[in-house]
Amino acid sequence: MAYKKGLFKTSVGRKNLMAVTGLFIAFFLIIHLVGNLILIIPDSWFPIEFWGGVESAHDMYNAYSHFLVHFWPITLVAWILYISIITHVIDALLITLNNNKAKGDKYQVTDNSTSTWYSRNMGVLGTVIGLFIFIHMAQFWLKYKVLGTEHDLYELVVTTFKQWWVVLIYEIGIIALGFHLAHGVESAHRSLGAYPKGLMRVIKYIALCFSIVMAVLYAIIPIIIYFK
Amino acid sequence: MNLTLKIWRQEGPEAKGKMVTYKVSDISKDMSFLEMLDVLNEDLATKGERTVEFDHDCREGICGQCSLVINGQAHGHESHYTTCQTHMRSYKDGDVIFIEPFRAKSFPVIRDLKVDRSSMDKIIQAGGYISSFTGMAPEANSIPIHHEVAESAFDSAACIGCGACVATCKNSSAALFLSAKISHLAKLPQGKVERMERVVWMVNAHDDEGFGSCTNTGACAMVCPQEVDLLDITRMNYEYNRALATVRS
Ligand code: HEM
Ligand code: FES
Repeated sequence: MAYKKGLFKTSVGRKNLMAVTGLFIAFFLIIHLVGNLILIIPDSWFPIEFWGGVESAHDMYNAYSHFLVHFWPITLVAWILYISIITHVIDALLITLNNNKAKGDKYQVTDNSTSTWYSRNMGVLGTVIGLFIFIHMAQFWLKYKVLGTEHDLYELVVTTFKQWWVVLIYEIGIIALGFHLAHGVESAHRSLGAYPKGLMRVIKYIALCFSIVMAVLYAIIPIIIYFK
Repeated sequence: MNLTLKIWRQEGPEAKGKMVTYKVSDISKDMSFLEMLDVLNEDLATKGERTVEFDHDCREGICGQCSLVINGQAHGHESHYTTCQTHMRSYKDGDVIFIEPFRAKSFPVIRDLKVDRSSMDKIIQAGGYISSFTGMAPEANSIPIHHEVAESAFDSAACIGCGACVATCKNSSAALFLSAKISHLAKLPQGKVERMERVVWMVNAHDDEGFGSCTNTGACAMVCPQEVDLLDITRMNYEYNRALATVRS
């Protein structure tokens, strides 16, 4: 008997990879958010003693981004992140293709009241997020980290967000992210087998709060910069 | 009451099917859904037409034979009911009712509304059992089981294998059915002996039968006539990962 079909080959096993990579990306989102909240610290808070008497958000943000580029553990985490995103997408495609094969003929009438729209459309939401990540990386990561054509990251970010259509694209991406997380984080814990009833109740609640907080905080950054 | 029925008709497994419209009249609200179909079939038989084929057996919600997707929902819109327990008082005069077979690649249509659900039997055959000596029933108190554990195992064991979970799932996954049996046996001492092998064998069989992968939308648990808990799927995932992590090939 082919006992072990491999951890990632069965319908159940494959979800592990989806869950682990998804949760790692979600963890990254926290760090990424904290760094970018520097952008919207009000001027009146400066100078900040705790940060060596830093004078402005401009200096603080650039010091922070300089640190990111030159601190090797961050580089390591970044590589794990890139691999996670790619793995997550490929695994999502494999699962979706396999699920489409399992489907029978279409129903004439479908009643979708038994599940949420975002849990049924994780692939669509993920694709929107994927397109967003693409644009996002081209705007900042490529120019600052890869090509090195921009050195003042704060300046680059602020001028980028002065264009209304950039803000719009970000809002769309972030709303999609919020819904993707709202199902994804809970689902990931289910996929990994966090089965005790009390534990799942807590996870469900935390996952929902996490998604809302992430989406709201990410969403206000471009808007605040635009109107500043 | 008078109703318009739009029913899936298909001559055989290979034939192309289509929705056909029928009118039924003088339906009593006390009839069950299947009795309403019986009335239609009597009409058709009287006119010399081929009757509509559908699965049923006990007609009291215990055998899991009845099926049907009614207005887009497996077993109709009354949650946690089988089709045989759904009554016509849930409908009103003049309603248009769409009636379709359970659909999934692993549930090929045999005729009209009848589908072949033997793929689910194959999953059970792969490991949904315990090995024990036959003979006299053992003394009831020889294996003490905590009341809550027994109740929880019983909730999982309540699955009647109707396949509504598969019919409803956007991925045609049988995860709820599969996990109900795995959870049922994993919770009890009698199931512990084959605990590791069972989950791997049954998951492999599930995939070999062509069912899809669960994405935890939860639609299955919402239509399940026996209210099997979505947590059973989570429990199965745990059992599966545990088995892969601990067992040598
Ligand atoms: C880059 C484009 C992305 C695509 C195409 C994508 C696609 C998908 C799809 C199709 C699913 C559902 C599959 C399933 O439930 O098995 C999923 C689940 C998930 N996604 Fe994404 N996603 C993307 C980005 C992200 C991002 C940025 C995050 C985190 C912030 C994320 C976190 C998750 C999590 C935690 C799950 C749940 C895993 C599970 O159900 O076990 N995804 N993704
Ligand atoms: S006919 Fe037995 S459950 Fe409906």
